[in-house]
Amino acid sequence: MSMYGFEAMSFNIKDGFLEAIVRGYKAGLLSAIDYNNLCQCETLDDIKLQLSGTDYGNFLANEPSPLHTATIVEKCTQSLVSEFSYMRTQASEPLATFLDYVTYGHMIDNIVLIVSGTLHERDVQELLDKCHPLGMFDSIATLAVASNMRELYRLVLVDTPLAPYFAECVTSEDLDDMNIEIMRNTLYKAYLEDFYNFCKKLGGATATIMCDLLAYEADRRAINITINSIGTELTRDDRRKLFSHFGLLYPYGHEELAVCEDFDQVRAAMEKYPPYQSIFSKLQFGESQILDKAFYEAEVKACVLGYEQQFHYAVFFAYVRLKEQEIRNIMWISECVAQNQKARIHDGIVFIF
Amino acid sequence: MGYSPDPGSWRNALTYISPYAFSAVGIGIAIGISVLGASWGIFITGSSLVGAAIKVPRITSKNLISVIFCEAVAIYGVIVAIILQTKLESVRMVDDRWTPDALRAGYSIFASGLIVGFANLVCGLCVGIIGSSCALSDAQNSTLFVKILVIEIFGSALGLFGVIVGIIMSSQAIFV
Amino acid sequence: MSGGGARLVVVPTVTVLAVIKARLIGATKGHQLLKKKSDALTMQFRQILKRIVETKEMMGETMKQAAFALTEAKYAAGDNIKHTVFENVSSATIKVRSKQDNVAGVKLPKFQHYTEAGETKNALTGLARGGQQIQLCKSAYVKAVELLVELASLQTSFLTLDEAIKTTNRRVNALENVVKPKLENTISYIKGELDELEREEFFRLKKVQANKKKVADRELKEKLDAAGRVADKLAARAEEVVSMLTANGKDEDVIF
Repeated sequence: MSMYGFEAMSFNIKDGFLEAIVRGYKAGLLSAIDYNNLCQCETLDDIKLQLSGTDYGNFLANEPSPLHTATIVEKCTQSLVSEFSYMRTQASEPLATFLDYVTYGHMIDNIVLIVSGTLHERDVQELLDKCHPLGMFDSIATLAVASNMRELYRLVLVDTPLAPYFAECVTSEDLDDMNIEIMRNTLYKAYLEDFYNFCKKLGGATATIMCDLLAYEADRRAINITINSIGTELTRDDRRKLFSHFGLLYPYGHEELAVCEDFDQVRAAMEKYPPYQSIFSKLQFGESQILDKAFYEAEVKACVLGYEQQFHYAVFFAYVRLKEQEIRNIMWISECVAQNQKARIHDGIVFIF
Repeated sequence: MGYSPDPGSWRNALTYISPYAFSAVGIGIAIGISVLGASWGIFITGSSLVGAAIKVPRITSKNLISVIFCEAVAIYGVIVAIILQTKLESVRMVDDRWTPDALRAGYSIFASGLIVGFANLVCGLCVGIIGSSCALSDAQNSTLFVKILVIEIFGSALGLFGVIVGIIMSSQAIFV
Repeated sequence: MSGGGARLVVVPTVTVLAVIKARLIGATKGHQLLKKKSDALTMQFRQILKRIVETKEMMGETMKQAAFALTEAKYAAGDNIKHTVFENVSSATIKVRSKQDNVAGVKLPKFQHYTEAGETKNALTGLARGGQQIQLCKSAYVKAVELLVELASLQTSFLTLDEAIKTTNRRVNALENVVKPKLENTISYIKGELDELEREEFFRLKKVQANKKKVADRELKEKLDAAGRVADKLAARAEEVVSMLTANGKDEDVIF
């Protein structure tokens, strides 16, 4: 398995079926024609009608008529979750672990959500309803008992797969709002590094493609953290601590990003990195509005490229990412239709082919 | 390997092993490894085909061709095994030794079986992997099926090469 | 003349008339003042109406922008971001206090928003994804909230003013159409009554006078008669005297 080129012989023993399934799911993603039709819709009911012919049809079929964007997004997410959990139950090791890794990002978000909700004395059940279904784990409800990092770790997280990621966080004692956002990103950083190493260990095409995808993810996070922390209390050192230790920008790009004071400096720092230079060159000077879309586009491109190769796990990761992008697209279209902002409808759609 | 009068010496192991044994092992490898290749190929193709057919049921009957190609590899093995088997004759030792002709026949049947077996193993894997890709591609885009089928045919030709060489090789095997 | 409209039930006397007249003057003055107040309020009312229309128009645009900013934030930071933002907040940062404004004696409630002196807690939200969009969304909604507060202030003023104008106009109309005519009617009634009384008195006086005259005439006549008679007697005596005189001729001792 780990020797490049020979996984073709053994891959299908465990994972051939699921790979075919996930490719089938990927084929069910909306096409250009679907998007064109969706863009023509005048009401949310039209959108429902359009989606009824797609994989989302079953999930939206029984929704009563005054539809809301939130309902559409929720149902589409349900479709992703049901497809994903089908694959997760079918998977055997090491694909099962790989699929778990894919959900850790949501798990981190859920933990952070519950911890911050508990700090503000919200009802735990209410908080659980707001959690992302992909990031649920058995002991999640018990998170509410913790009042500081050490307790959180000792009581709950030590039994979860995320436990090792907390090693860097437990130093901060109290959980205030600032720390929580930093905690989220520290966890995510540790998660990405762990995932990266796991993929490397898997070897073969999985390692090649996944390491590229994760490197892109890490770089994007580094750039976003830099841009979003400009003008906040986050110090340079704290900022650098949130960057994952791999990727195209590691380590010299990180040094440059850590000292950036405004958007144009970030852009200047990225001039040296061709993949990001081309993303930044799409933007006019001084604006960052469509940066997210440009990043999403690059991600989608990389994910779609992953499907060109067979016998590797990156297709599962790519599928989740593509589907999430598609849900984002549907959310964007629905919002534009609902808010009568059809002029901006094309600003948010990232086509997936 | 020089000749030693001591039949118990390890140096004479090969010359004292019955050519009949070599032939039998060769035939066994021919059929066994071929079937291994065929089944491996069918497994690779099959698991992808089953998965892909859930979303796109239309591909099932078309892609049975890939399975049949893999199956053919097993049939090559069977055919060659039968041909090799017909060459088998009982041999006697002359002066406590196998005659050179008998030895040659034994080795060539053994080699023939080895060639056919491993050629078919690799051929089966090759066809299986391409068949798996074929099923997945067909599910995404039905125009790709014929194109990949051509590649698959080239793959299955590999097994035939082994069969041809194996048959030619075994044709010299005459027990005297 | 006095029977035309409603009037107060009063004893028609001069004193009461004076009182009622004073009341009429008061009512007229009050009417004028109220009229002025009503005009002032109406002017204010119109101004507020204009501002409400302007604010509402702006409101539509601002709310639209804010809603879309939220969409952009959700697009960039993920759908779950709203929960993250909610859970990070324990109390409102923008609060509203109310204060009173005085327009022509009408107390108008006025709302003012102010930012609670606390740190902005969501500064780092969406650090790795869409933080900027979240900040944009935040400022868009802050703008919307400010407008909303202004609009609420205007609307409440509008309602209060509307009520005040109605009351004032009712008072103006009551003064103009009920109180003043009533007083006027009362005055004219009293005046009529007084005139009537006067005329009666005059007539009576005349009668009395006529009677008195009659009596006087009669007495005069009697007196005259008596006087005539006396005169006659005197004349007779005078004649006697004359005759005597003439009879006597010149009488030396008569001096007249």
